[in-house]
Amino acid sequence: MRRGLMAWDPQEVPASALADRLARLRAELAREGVDVFVAYTNIARGGSVWWLTGFTPYWNEGLLYAPAQGEMVFATALSKRVAEWISSVMPAGEVTTTPRPSAFIGEHIARDGAKRIGILELDDFPAGHAQAILQAAPGVELVDVTEAFARARNDSDAVERLLLTKADALAQAACGAVDVSSAHARDFIAPAESVARLGGAEECFTLVAGDLRSSRAFVRTDSMGSLGETFAARVSLAYKGAWTRHVRSFAKDAGVQQSMDRAHAALMDFSLQSGETLAQAVARTFGSLGEVNNWVAEQPRGSYPLAPVANMAESAQGFTASAPFVLDVELVTDGRRWVGARMIGL
Amino acid sequence: MSKEALAARQGALKEAMKSENVEVLVLFGNNWHADHLRYATDFGIQEGQGIALVRDDGSITLILDDPAECERARSDSTCETIFAPALVQEAKRQLSRAGNHNIAAAPYHLLPYGLLHGDKDLRVTDGAKIVERLLMTKMEVEIAAVRKAAALADEGYAIFRQAARPGRKDYELVAEMESFFRANGVPENFMIVGVGGQEVRGMAPPGGKILKKGDMVTTELTPCFDGYYAQICRTLVVGEPSEAQRQAFAVYLEAMEAGIATVRAGVTAADVARAENDVFRKYGLGEYVTSEYTRVRGHGMGLFPDQKPAILEDVNITLQTGMTLIVHPNTYHPAVGYLVLGDSLVVRESGHELLCGTPRELFSVPLQ
Repeated sequence: MRRGLMAWDPQEVPASALADRLARLRAELAREGVDVFVAYTNIARGGSVWWLTGFTPYWNEGLLYAPAQGEMVFATALSKRVAEWISSVMPAGEVTTTPRPSAFIGEHIARDGAKRIGILELDDFPAGHAQAILQAAPGVELVDVTEAFARARNDSDAVERLLLTKADALAQAACGAVDVSSAHARDFIAPAESVARLGGAEECFTLVAGDLRSSRAFVRTDSMGSLGETFAARVSLAYKGAWTRHVRSFAKDAGVQQSMDRAHAALMDFSLQSGETLAQAVARTFGSLGEVNNWVAEQPRGSYPLAPVANMAESAQGFTASAPFVLDVELVTDGRRWVGARMIGL
Repeated sequence: MSKEALAARQGALKEAMKSENVEVLVLFGNNWHADHLRYATDFGIQEGQGIALVRDDGSITLILDDPAECERARSDSTCETIFAPALVQEAKRQLSRAGNHNIAAAPYHLLPYGLLHGDKDLRVTDGAKIVERLLMTKMEVEIAAVRKAAALADEGYAIFRQAARPGRKDYELVAEMESFFRANGVPENFMIVGVGGQEVRGMAPPGGKILKKGDMVTTELTPCFDGYYAQICRTLVVGEPSEAQRQAFAVYLEAMEAGIATVRAGVTAADVARAENDVFRKYGLGEYVTSEYTRVRGHGMGLFPDQKPAILEDVNITLQTGMTLIVHPNTYHPAVGYLVLGDSLVVRESGHELLCGTPRELFSVPLQ
């Protein structure tokens, strides 16, 4: 539930950058013989609509319709009074509030005479909305255009990189604000939430792995207990819709903390060199510190703001080396589990 | 939540499935609609999507498409948990393996298209009848959690009042609230705000407005405890309220109290809405209870912060003992702008149990 700062700054996100993205998508759709494009959005799956419009609904759901030409249409079940506010923070597309957004989009499709309807992530598209579109626009064909969207979004443009840079700085600051002297994990992590949101985070998920000796599972505040000898903070946040994560490990003992800091410094120095695979880069960076148990790389994928695109077992599931990514690493250093994550490639 | 409380929920679900002759119930969820999934598994999903397969023998399989969420579920939940990047395909595989059962699913309209369509279409019926009543009408063990959430909402509003002072930005107030809630074990909070005067038509996420003398600051706080949400709506004024603000607030107070006084088992949501709206009409403000200016006059709460029944004059759902609601006559007032006031309560046989304890005042915060 988005409740942090949501505002559009034309300096940060010029409308022209969004127009360029739409043009790239339309070119890819045309190659596939698709007439129009529809994407679904909610707070969990806001990535694609955000990329095209700069907006994620703070609540509820919506559908974005991109005709072959002309203005996009964003239809949402949020209340009528909210339309004006959405327009003020969404630099691209016309906003309509309606209890039946998919029927509204279906009627648009029928009016436009489109036949092949490109749906992002058709398998995951809500069945009720698909049915409403098919009822309002009988005879159309729903086509999965996930790959076409991925090609259009292939790399991060300068606008996205700027937002990610700000998000990354916030996430780092938030992780650095934790109260290591706390006995309880909730008190340890609460300052991170404050720093992130004071810095303008639109959303922030703060989790803790309270005792790295027993588990690396990051839990929410309702499941947290006291802190063990070594523990970690995980801050996932969005700044103006751009998501990143930062994970940092801590120790109660100063000597152990030095060991954790060495691994953290290695993570901060991590870079992917030309011609090098992710696996090679991880081995080069962390090999001298201990045994790497696991690593995962995440990038935006379709409607998912961040999703795994490579890991230790499967080195490339869709990883784009030229785009920024979150690298999450787990290793055993000096006999203790260490976990860390940060955005790479900004 | 306690193992006993979860067992009670799972038992209720099993009974409901049996009465509808359903052998497998498919529950879908994400961070927006986490309620169905949570009811069966007690897992509060934060990222990605999840599907729970609830079988009539009581076994439950939770399928998640995010690896970190899967790790958290294995730590938090007792269900069998599967990580599957291709969520729909894995759910289909599991359902196909189970054979040709009577399968129902909820929330049906949000169910992934691929689960219902494909090479071999599964026959899945709408499981709303099984789940919706359970989500709306709570057991005492669930009400206890809503009660705790309401107490946190009261505590939270006290923090909000302290945080609201001239010169602060609206999102800085949210930062203080969220930090307070995390420190007190609340993982989720639905919260929107409004800052300003006559020009403010509603609440939304903060946009960077700076609080100044005379502003009305509206908010609804909705923290959760053990997954159950409770809400409080209040309005404060930066500095001393004007006479117009006081007079406007008096209408909202009368409307909320009229609505709350109507609540008891057997009346409809429409009856409650009508009681609230009649007060506005009495003062010549009937125009401002229409959808032009307001969404609902209250709503149910539970594992979802805005669940059925919507309190509206055209909603004829009968209130039942154990439903948890907020009654809030929130709307635009032509003289002073958008104003909110609302308390959470439990529907009881002959009335209600009030859950919020914050005074029903138009609060004022000092200018210094």
